[in-house]
Amino acid sequence: MKLIDLIRLVVNNLNRRKARVGLTAIGVVIGTAAVVILVSLAIGLQMNANEQLYGIGNLSQINVSPNYGGGGGGYGGPMVQIAGSLDTGESALLTPRAIKDLQALPGVVSVIPREYLNAQMYVTYKKMQGYSSIIGVATEDLTTFGLEADQGITGLSRASVVIGPQVAMGFYDPNLRPGQETPPPPDLYDQQIQLTILKYDADGNEIRKNISVRVAGVLAETGAESDWSIYMPLDQVASINEWANGFRVNRNKDGYTEVIVTVENPDKTIEVRDQIIALGYQAFTMLDFVQGINNFYTILQVVLGGVGAIALLVAAIGIANTMAMSILERTREIGLMKAVGATNRDVLAIFLGEAAGIGFIGGAGGVLIGWLAGQGLNVVAVVYLAQQAAQQGGMPPSVAVYTPIWLPVFVLLFSVFIGMVSGLYPALRAATMIPVQALKYE
Amino acid sequence: MTPLIQVAGLKRHYQMGGTTVRALDGVDIEIPAHTFTVVMGPSGSGKSSLLYLLGGLDRPTAGEISINGERLDQMDENALALFRRKMMGFIFQSFNLVSSMSAMENVAFPMQFSGIPVMERNQKSLQLLGQVGLADRSGHTPSELSGGQQQRVAVARALINDPQLVFADEPTGNLDTASGVTVMQLLSDLHKSGRTVLVVTHDQRMTRFATHKIFLLDGHIVSEEEYKSATLALDNQGE
Ligand SMILES: Nc1ncnc2c1ncn2[C@@H]1O[C@H](COP(=O)(O)OP(=O)(O)O)[C@@H](O)[C@H]1O
Ligand SMILES: [Mg+2]
Repeated sequence: MKLIDLIRLVVNNLNRRKARVGLTAIGVVIGTAAVVILVSLAIGLQMNANEQLYGIGNLSQINVSPNYGGGGGGYGGPMVQIAGSLDTGESALLTPRAIKDLQALPGVVSVIPREYLNAQMYVTYKKMQGYSSIIGVATEDLTTFGLEADQGITGLSRASVVIGPQVAMGFYDPNLRPGQETPPPPDLYDQQIQLTILKYDADGNEIRKNISVRVAGVLAETGAESDWSIYMPLDQVASINEWANGFRVNRNKDGYTEVIVTVENPDKTIEVRDQIIALGYQAFTMLDFVQGINNFYTILQVVLGGVGAIALLVAAIGIANTMAMSILERTREIGLMKAVGATNRDVLAIFLGEAAGIGFIGGAGGVLIGWLAGQGLNVVAVVYLAQQAAQQGGMPPSVAVYTPIWLPVFVLLFSVFIGMVSGLYPALRAATMIPVQALKYE
Repeated sequence: MTPLIQVAGLKRHYQMGGTTVRALDGVDIEIPAHTFTVVMGPSGSGKSSLLYLLGGLDRPTAGEISINGERLDQMDENALALFRRKMMGFIFQSFNLVSSMSAMENVAFPMQFSGIPVMERNQKSLQLLGQVGLADRSGHTPSELSGGQQQRVAVARALINDPQLVFADEPTGNLDTASGVTVMQLLSDLHKSGRTVLVVTHDQRMTRFATHKIFLLDGHIVSEEEYKSATLALDNQGE
């Protein structure tokens, strides 16, 4: 039997029992619409969550810090829960030799020590002052971290710094008298700025150190830490720290306080992170955090999809029932088909086709209704959520319910599949009927 | 020349609870091609059982059935279906038309399994409807046709695949006398056009067209004389 003839016959047969087919299909409509709406909702929520995650940083980076031994690794801060470490009690320091070891791990692109300026300081530009975190990195070019310049260059040298785009926003005039107009944030690019570092001697006298540097580049916005930071060569920051804290660091003995490991791509991040932990260091990556969130939403999708699938299961029972009844009523027709030369496969295909057809009709209706309902929900919810965001701060969401194209396609195929599975047993019964018995059936 | 249909030692027993119904109990038949065979027998004598076995619609309990030199009793379901499709046409007592389809669609129905384009199917169907005198009824559904007209549609349907063999089970059983005669005439025409026709009936009038007659009594083939005396006795008993 040709496919076109099969389809034509199936359509005719379904057409012949419009009321019953329609009623059976409504069950499928409800189930598929539920799946489409609920899964779209879960996807929409996930997209919102990911939008909020913007600025979480580079997902192919791993922050590694030394393990000083004695247990209770103090990475500090809220990240401590997701900063993994193997507490062996032995210390693992980030000495230059250790960095070479890390560099040798497969998938690692770069291992770059990093150190924050650890002293009281402020920045001056002309009459204005600002505060900013100063990060020393042992790299000649910030592109190693995936950073890009908005103005100027990303290269670091002793007499120049690269600053984040938000640094200038924090500048203010300390001598501003009340009533005077607040000056706009300065354009610091290619300007000399002065870093003032403070320390106190044993008698409590303030000692200042001034360093004048040129802003060689302003970074493009990332939403992450780099927006508010000033980047300098590591050695420079380290010597300022030594001056400020009066403590000389021997790298070969003490190691670095932190290194940033960059891997080829985010797929490798977790694997490399685990290897680093196995070497005894503390390591964490933002990917853990993002993956945790994504896993949650994947589970949410499955759960909500499952709720809809229960409705589909009920629909499947309906299809099975309708097909069983139909086959009983059409027993003589089946006998006739066989008498005129229909093979068992032909009969099977016809009844499976009818069951699949009911699934398809219901699926198409359900996808359409689910999609339309989702769009309607979007209009309402986005307005509502935008109001919320306006009141409580934060970014307004762009969507509440999102239906990716794969979802209706999948749901439609799935409902056809459900139809076929439900119709399989009745169709097999039809196909294997003994012709003479079917023909004589009263 | 070997006969078109050859049957040897054919048995069809039905198991009914504890008892065995011997619908056919050792039947040997030879039917040459291009003949008009009428199988006569009272109700329950095994006529339908024989026809369904010859048509490959049922499996014998024992015995051999050959058609055109091919052993039906050794074919699998699929082979039987394909064999029926190219070799046989069936006419049933109760017409067995699909009630939702027009006369034309009913006649064309068997052809859709052989992959013939729909245009060709419909054309052939209309031509056959003309042949059975129903050219003007092609769009009617069975409920809009009389019994005799429905059976003529069924005759046309039996011919759509151009079969060599036509089987009819009590084709006039549900018809009034006039319609019955029309259908008998159509079957006789089929024979005249070169087909082999086998009709199973207890309608005495059918024998008029027969080239061959087979008499069945209680699952056995008997001679015309035996049959006549037995049926006379039966009739007398009835009175
Ligand atoms: N499916 C069946 N199960 C049990 N007995 C059957 C079945 N079909 C036919 N019979 C019995 O077999 C005998 C012959 O039946 P059948 O071939 O239909 O005779 P006919 O067509 O000559 O009236 C009858 O006694 C009938 O009751
Ligand atoms: Mg009978």
